[in-house]
Amino acid sequence: MANASAAHTSLEETGRSYAPHEAVIEASRCLMCDDPPCNTGCPAGVDVRRFIRKIRFGNHRGAVRLIREANIMVGICGRVCPQEMLCMEHCTRTNLDTPIDIAGLQRFAGDIELASLAPLPDPAGGRRERVAIIGAGPAGLGAAVELRKRGIGVTIFEKSDVMGGVLTRGIPPFRLDQTFAVEELSYVQRLGAEVELEQTASEPAELLKGGFSAVFVGIGLGRPYTIGLDGEELPGVYVASDLLTGITKKVRPDLGSRVVVIGGGNVAMDAAMAALRLGAERVDLCCLESYEEMPAFRSEIEEVQSEGIAFHTRTRPVRIVADGDKVVGYEGVGIRWREAGSLAPSNAIDVPGTEFGLAADSIIEAIGTGVLDRFEGVETDGRGVVITDPETMATSLPGVFAGGDVVSGGATAVRAYAEGKKAAEGIVAFLDSRGTEGGGR
Amino acid sequence: MKKVDLSVEFCGIRFPNPFVLAAAPPTDDAEMIARGFDAGWGGAVVKTLGLEHVEVNLVSPMMAGLSYEDKGLIGLENIDLISDRDINEVLAEVSELKKSYPEQVLIVSMMAGSEKEWKEITRRVQAAGADMIECSFSCPHGMPEKGMGSAVGQDAGLTYERAKWVVEAAEIPVLIKLTPNVTDMRPIAQKVKEAGAAGVTAINTVKALLGFDLDTFSPIPSVNGKSTEGGFSGPAIKPIALRFVADVVKDVGIPVAGVGGVVTWKDAVEFLLAGAGIVEVCTAVMRYGFDIVEELNEGLALYLEDKGMNSPMELIGLGLPNIVSHESLSREYKAIASIDEDICVGCGQCIVACRDGGHQAIEFRGRQDDGGLSDADDARIADVDDEKCIGCGFCRTVCPVDGCITMTPRED
Repeated sequence: MANASAAHTSLEETGRSYAPHEAVIEASRCLMCDDPPCNTGCPAGVDVRRFIRKIRFGNHRGAVRLIREANIMVGICGRVCPQEMLCMEHCTRTNLDTPIDIAGLQRFAGDIELASLAPLPDPAGGRRERVAIIGAGPAGLGAAVELRKRGIGVTIFEKSDVMGGVLTRGIPPFRLDQTFAVEELSYVQRLGAEVELEQTASEPAELLKGGFSAVFVGIGLGRPYTIGLDGEELPGVYVASDLLTGITKKVRPDLGSRVVVIGGGNVAMDAAMAALRLGAERVDLCCLESYEEMPAFRSEIEEVQSEGIAFHTRTRPVRIVADGDKVVGYEGVGIRWREAGSLAPSNAIDVPGTEFGLAADSIIEAIGTGVLDRFEGVETDGRGVVITDPETMATSLPGVFAGGDVVSGGATAVRAYAEGKKAAEGIVAFLDSRGTEGGGR
Repeated sequence: MKKVDLSVEFCGIRFPNPFVLAAAPPTDDAEMIARGFDAGWGGAVVKTLGLEHVEVNLVSPMMAGLSYEDKGLIGLENIDLISDRDINEVLAEVSELKKSYPEQVLIVSMMAGSEKEWKEITRRVQAAGADMIECSFSCPHGMPEKGMGSAVGQDAGLTYERAKWVVEAAEIPVLIKLTPNVTDMRPIAQKVKEAGAAGVTAINTVKALLGFDLDTFSPIPSVNGKSTEGGFSGPAIKPIALRFVADVVKDVGIPVAGVGGVVTWKDAVEFLLAGAGIVEVCTAVMRYGFDIVEELNEGLALYLEDKGMNSPMELIGLGLPNIVSHESLSREYKAIASIDEDICVGCGQCIVACRDGGHQAIEFRGRQDDGGLSDADDARIADVDDEKCIGCGFCRTVCPVDGCITMTPRED
């Protein structure tokens, strides 16, 4: 049985942005609430009502400027933010009919900006300090932008060959076009941040000794978990994040016609959709969680469902079936939870008689990602997640701050960005408290 | 890039930007005007004051809106009157406000009867520290019955006489606010000029009957089953306002404060192109709040930046040379409708409009002799018949797709 639909064959971005008059029509649905509830929903602090008002009254470029003041990921968040869980969840218009398409309006704003790059704000008077930022993902960029606005020097060290972290090397191009993302993020360089690509940063302690006044760690997560099944080393078994990173680099592996994806998060959803677009005829998605328990954004789950991908919820993997070196099938079994409240694999109990088998040419594991690197003197919890002061994002090592997925253990890009901004405040307070003696590089 | 300076000079007075709150409910109170200034308005016209003995007896409700299809409040009608507040109290507020906001321009609107009264109110407003005076010769309801408001502005002689009284008593610039409820404003504006006033404010509200309640047969807004003709404002009256502004600036040559239907910075630019020196706003402020001035200021600044201009004053009157008589329009130039089939959605609204409203020049590509449509993929693309199209431009006004129908010069 084939479940691939002809509409889902392109790995490129498919949605289109509003035309200007469409954006005005959508914006004019906005009730322009007093004390608008949408504004409370944005982690990055975007003044939603105000940017929509700007679009409504024809001040489109003013809208972009306003959004970017709070968050440089204008068009990016317009595409990838789970806004139905954030600003749009709070939209008063929902009480009348449907919420304002805030995501769509923000995407529109982002496009406007690329068409006419606006002049830069003048960074505050230059300061002597320079801050090292490890990782050019949303958190690091959030910190970099805020530090530059205060005139503080910034050097970003990025291991990959491109800025953006998960935005450019994790999210597949059909959700977010990498070229667009890189162009939008290049704003940080226009603000005067130095970005050193393909550079592995030294230990934070070394960077502090080497002349940096403070360090921000925003390395995200980089070590995908694996299940530990026999046969995981076979060529037909993939780790989802590696597969998706490859896709962003134009690698197009042949997954065969039957693909099984294991996992219930957003990466699993992306992997399943990517598998269809790489030519699979049928994709099965197996996860421990029930439909309601799956951690992926609702909108992504619904999208995957609409593409005809079969869900096998509340099941666990049992065996990879191989014929020599070749993957030919997957076996799983239904589970129930031993105790309520935990979705951990160790809490799962097999339900006898629910064993099942699926034909598979490829199996993609998407069961989560942990922290890849640890740093000397920076305290972490058992999972390697960095412990910070929630007010300042300071780590246990003085002068070293952290934010984003390496602190949250995995959340949205916009939350990571917001943590980077908050850390920048913490860094400024730290630098101010040290006075001028700390010196710059 | 040079920084745009939004400040303008109008009638010898410097405004931080050309956007001014019109005389209306938003300016009936110093606390409100202060919030308006904080939001970014360049000036305010304090709601029209009368002398103590003028009895102001309000009715309720006094406002009703006009909606059209999905467009809420394209126009607002009011049967409000001049301020019902005590003139001494308001003028005391004006003095305080001026101290707190020395940069913003405070204009006081006023209305009186006899020469003695006009001169007295002029002196008192001036003594309170107003930067300018605006005389309402134009309110279309309530006041004309008493020989004031538009009863004055509809009569060139009365206008001249009263304007002269005020100018004689005033040491600050005087604006005369005129009514659009005349066939031609120019002879009246000419009298304003001859009387020595600094400028004209155009337009006040358009006299109108907003509608009826279909069950009670009462006009709206219904005051216990009855109503009266009122003053119509909002986006619906912008074209009327633009026409009067352009008329007066072009043919009388007196500075004009433009007002009528401004919502966005684009509307404001149009008023500047028509020759207005400042732009007053009321209905949009009442509808959306003082904050919309942020979009007016920012939108205008970005527009000027795009045009390589440094000041809004560079725009004033730029559109006037292009307003010519019908007779002198080109007859050699022939336009034709051109439909972009890549974005045509195939609704056929242009076809209906041209068939029943014009010249039967547009038809679906797939229309067959039996009246039906073929199965071809492009059957619902609208095609223009070059022979039949007279280039009227009506189809473009009904097309739901922005930029799909354009009027292009005929090549033959």
